[in-house]
Amino acid sequence: MKVLIIEDEKALSASIFTYLNSEQYICEIAADFSSAMTKISQYDYACIILDINLPGGSGLDILKELKKSYKAEGVLIISARNSLDDRLNGLNSGADDYLTKPFHLSELAARVAAIIRRKSFDGNNNLNFEELQLDLFYKTVKVKDRAIELTRKEYDLLLYFISNKNKVINKAAIAEHLWGDNMDMADSYDFIYTHIKNLRKKLIQAGARDYVKSVYGMGYKFSRS
Amino acid sequence: MNLLTRYFRINLVVTVSIFILASLAFYFLLWYVSIRQVDEDLKIEQREIETFVRKHNRPPEPISVRDQNISYEISKAQKAYRIFSTIPSPNIDEHENFRQITFTLSVNNQWLVFKVSKSLEGTENLNRSIIIVSLITIVAILLVSLLINRWQLRRLWKPFYTTLSGVEKFRLGEKAVPNFEQSTINEFNLLNNTINQFIRDAEKEYFLLKEFTENASHELQTPLAIVRSTLDVMIQDEKLTEAQSNSLQTAYAAIQKMSRLNQSLLLLNKIENRQFSDVNSFDFKTLVEAKMSDWQELWQGRNLHITSSLGSANISMNEQLAEIMLGNLFSNAARHSKEEGNIHLNLAANVFEISNTASDGPLDPEKLFKRFSIAGQSTDQHGLGLSIIKQITEVSNSRVSYQYAQGNHIFSVHF
Repeated sequence: MKVLIIEDEKALSASIFTYLNSEQYICEIAADFSSAMTKISQYDYACIILDINLPGGSGLDILKELKKSYKAEGVLIISARNSLDDRLNGLNSGADDYLTKPFHLSELAARVAAIIRRKSFDGNNNLNFEELQLDLFYKTVKVKDRAIELTRKEYDLLLYFISNKNKVINKAAIAEHLWGDNMDMADSYDFIYTHIKNLRKKLIQAGARDYVKSVYGMGYKFSRS
Repeated sequence: MNLLTRYFRINLVVTVSIFILASLAFYFLLWYVSIRQVDEDLKIEQREIETFVRKHNRPPEPISVRDQNISYEISKAQKAYRIFSTIPSPNIDEHENFRQITFTLSVNNQWLVFKVSKSLEGTENLNRSIIIVSLITIVAILLVSLLINRWQLRRLWKPFYTTLSGVEKFRLGEKAVPNFEQSTINEFNLLNNTINQFIRDAEKEYFLLKEFTENASHELQTPLAIVRSTLDVMIQDEKLTEAQSNSLQTAYAAIQKMSRLNQSLLLLNKIENRQFSDVNSFDFKTLVEAKMSDWQELWQGRNLHITSSLGSANISMNEQLAEIMLGNLFSNAARHSKEEGNIHLNLAANVFEISNTASDGPLDPEKLFKRFSIAGQSTDQHGLGLSIIKQITEVSNSRVSYQYAQGNHIFSVHF
């Protein structure tokens, strides 16, 4: 699946590229308006990560062009402006999601994954990872065809892990994902630990392997090995 | 005291005292002139008596009519003299005074003293009438001039008061520059123009400053995004040592704090710009209950005891702002509680209170809601939470207040 990163800050697009580029996605970068327009006219992408402020034009115009040519790409807008107007304009002109800078790459990856799932699995709401089966519509999880009971937070956490498999995810990113960025209790991440502990216990009890690893008190990694 | 009252008071005191003095002077002058008149009459009587004595060589018969008495007796003093005096009426039941001339005259080598007195009734009556008429005139003039003054002055000063109320209603940053009407008086026009210029300059400076803050915050977002995403990439490295990981975690925490600070500044700007203008009517209780369930586990994690008594409170406010305000109040209470402290929530029809066991003494209510000025900051706190709460209450026509009672910090929002 191809992902196009339209972002004029080279350092930022390089980080996004490094993080996303894997066996799952093939990434390309466009650093200005005209090269972005060329790329979208020549290729099809599963998802486009779009910055609003670009040299040579506005990201919103790229969005309009995509809609005009009936391209099926999912679009995720990333912008430094978190003003209501930008968000509304972006979503009204057909963007699928909106993320304000500065964001965690794990959050970006989760949003990209969600957009691609919405765009490409019409009618199919299942997401599989090894012996885990997630029903995205009913928000339920099965391990080897046996349903397990997860709380809403545990389910969100598992989905977040799967969208960022094989990556180390920072604790702050997990906290922000689960509780939103208004939850200003940043001095302690103990409450995340409780949720992760419970999720692990439930998965292992249901016969799944233990995929969650703690990384030096910095964060967690969800991976096969 | 306002300008016109002050002016009228001074004016009244000065005119009334001038009129009183003038009336007194007038009264005495009038009295003096009329007494002199009577004295002249008495002198004529004296001359008539002298003529009579010279002609007949005997004193005239004493006559007493109602308002004139003539009498004589043998004088003790053997010389000529003349005295004028005012005496009470010889009739006990009459009140008016008499003017009397006393003079000596030698008749047949014997000194006689003559007393001629004239009633002052007529003079006194006349004087009284004149004084009454003048006093009525004076009071009438005083009243009329005061009324005219008052009306004229009010009319004259009207542009000044219009300007004053315009300036009073003016709030910096609301983009509503007061419209002053043109006056025919140069000073007022000058005043209006000066104030107008002043307001325009202040507005310009204010918006420049605001724009600067806004732009600075926006410009910071991209570098913050770069640092954070670079860190996100770096921690993927499997060869990181524990020490390196710890350093990265420190950097994460600092970036986290900085982006929160920046977000808060942007939020403050947005609230000031009134970008949350759609106001809904809703039950605040529902919102409090929803937030409480969000916070349940965070509170449990710190072993805080939560109690609440929530009534219904229908309020009109922007829901997003209400939620932000509540979130800030909650995190503030949790942050400043001591471990295992109490938090109590109370909601009545027009007030929401949140109190928590203080870990230290009372906070300074003067500084409390100012940006970056909370005493005893903990390290990951940026000191904007309370300013955000205050700003939100200000744009929502409500009010936030702080109290310290029995070891509790109490924040109240009055809808």
